[in-house]
Amino acid sequence: MKKKKMIISQETMDIDFVRKVEALSDTSVRRCFQCGKCSAGCPMATFMEHPPNRVVRLLQLGQWRRIIEGRSIWYCASCETCSTRCPNKVHLASIMDALRKLSWDADGPSKESYVQLANKLFLQNIRTYGRQYEMRLAAVFNVKSGQFLKDLMLGPKLIAKGKLKMFHSKNKNMTEIEKIFSRIEEMRKKGEAL
Amino acid sequence: MSSDNIMEYSYYPGCSLHASAGEYDLSTRELFKILKIGLTEIPDWFCCGATPAHNVDELLSLSLCAKNLELADEIEGDVAVACAACFSRLKTTQHVLTENETKRKQVEKAIDAPVKLNSNVKHLLEILAADLGLERLAAAVHKPLTGLKVACYYGCLLTRPTDVPNLDCVEAPTIMERVIEAVGAETVPWTHRLECCGANFTLSRPGVVIQLTNAILDSAKAAGADCIMVGCPLCHGNLDIRQKEIEGVYKTDYNLPVFYLTQLVGLAAGLGADKLGLDAMIVNPMPLLREKNLI
Repeated sequence: MKKKKMIISQETMDIDFVRKVEALSDTSVRRCFQCGKCSAGCPMATFMEHPPNRVVRLLQLGQWRRIIEGRSIWYCASCETCSTRCPNKVHLASIMDALRKLSWDADGPSKESYVQLANKLFLQNIRTYGRQYEMRLAAVFNVKSGQFLKDLMLGPKLIAKGKLKMFHSKNKNMTEIEKIFSRIEEMRKKGEAL
Repeated sequence: MSSDNIMEYSYYPGCSLHASAGEYDLSTRELFKILKIGLTEIPDWFCCGATPAHNVDELLSLSLCAKNLELADEIEGDVAVACAACFSRLKTTQHVLTENETKRKQVEKAIDAPVKLNSNVKHLLEILAADLGLERLAAAVHKPLTGLKVACYYGCLLTRPTDVPNLDCVEAPTIMERVIEAVGAETVPWTHRLECCGANFTLSRPGVVIQLTNAILDSAKAAGADCIMVGCPLCHGNLDIRQKEIEGVYKTDYNLPVFYLTQLVGLAAGLGADKLGLDAMIVNPMPLLREKNLI
């Protein structure tokens, strides 16, 4: 990514957004003193343009757009090593969740589409079947991401070993799950939940 | 449910155990049967939402887990969970909904019922090590796993997050080692017990998984392990299903069978290969088990 010069001023610092992140994640970015322990232990830091400690620093400076334009938040594996090791109890894994949610809801500008597509299909499967349907998840992902040959050699092996089920039974109480999804949508429309 | 059971649990298998991790489900049921621990599967349980749900929609994730806890509440006993991710999600939900009243009210609205937070969510490891106890577990052994060197792989979510009371120390857990040593196996000290395998990037970015999982396999091999033991279907998928591919990419040869904890404990308790689902493993464990006279 091309490095853009950062200008810190009242105009460029958007603290309202940061407050939203703090409310959603129930944690304060102001507690971070940049020791870097989170990034040192992060298994995914090598794949990110902004490692975890820099994500927090950018939030402190109100420069959140730089974060959600990139792929860092989508390359977080939610292993929670960062939250576990933070000496100041900054729950970074929850901050990542909050950033992803805000970016997701706003259909954010990140170019990392594969992870977002996988998440979308995963949640659609829950709404349709109540449970995960791994065969369908993998097949639809390949079609939608245009990678028709991805893991093609694994498929027959997994089917032979009984690891991929061709058919899937729906939960009997599917109306329950649909109600949960639609109630949440309703609450958000009324502004009762973020 | 037979009356001579010494303990009763409700059982939340999770989606993977009904599909790609069928052998984990099978070996869990068979092992618990001979240990006289009753498992009643929660009828019509839902997916816990796993990582994708809390990644983009915490309220949905909390609501799905709260709904499952409500279903579990109707069955006697604590909730037995096999999958590390489901375990982490259910425990996190209990913690968040206890601590945060605003979120609890939102979830109650979403599931249209009061949240039930009383049931104790336990991973299978906890049930074996604490509820049953290592002495009783050792007493059930018919065929000690003598000479088998096991690398116990915890992965991320068995012991995390820290603020949620969990099954063992977050940075230096020993529960897996204690369980498998109780049935006669040897364990190896190694560096990557708690490192992430890349988890669900196996679907979206398999390259990530190949790199991270290779480091784990490499570390286990260097420590002199014969095999790896896991308690999570996603770790299993990455270590076992992708092992051949990783060997190809890194031009190396690991040949490390990856067992679920219930498969190894079940083997020691005298269960046959058919009841452990050993044929479903991609890296064939039979040569190793024959060499160690375990089958």
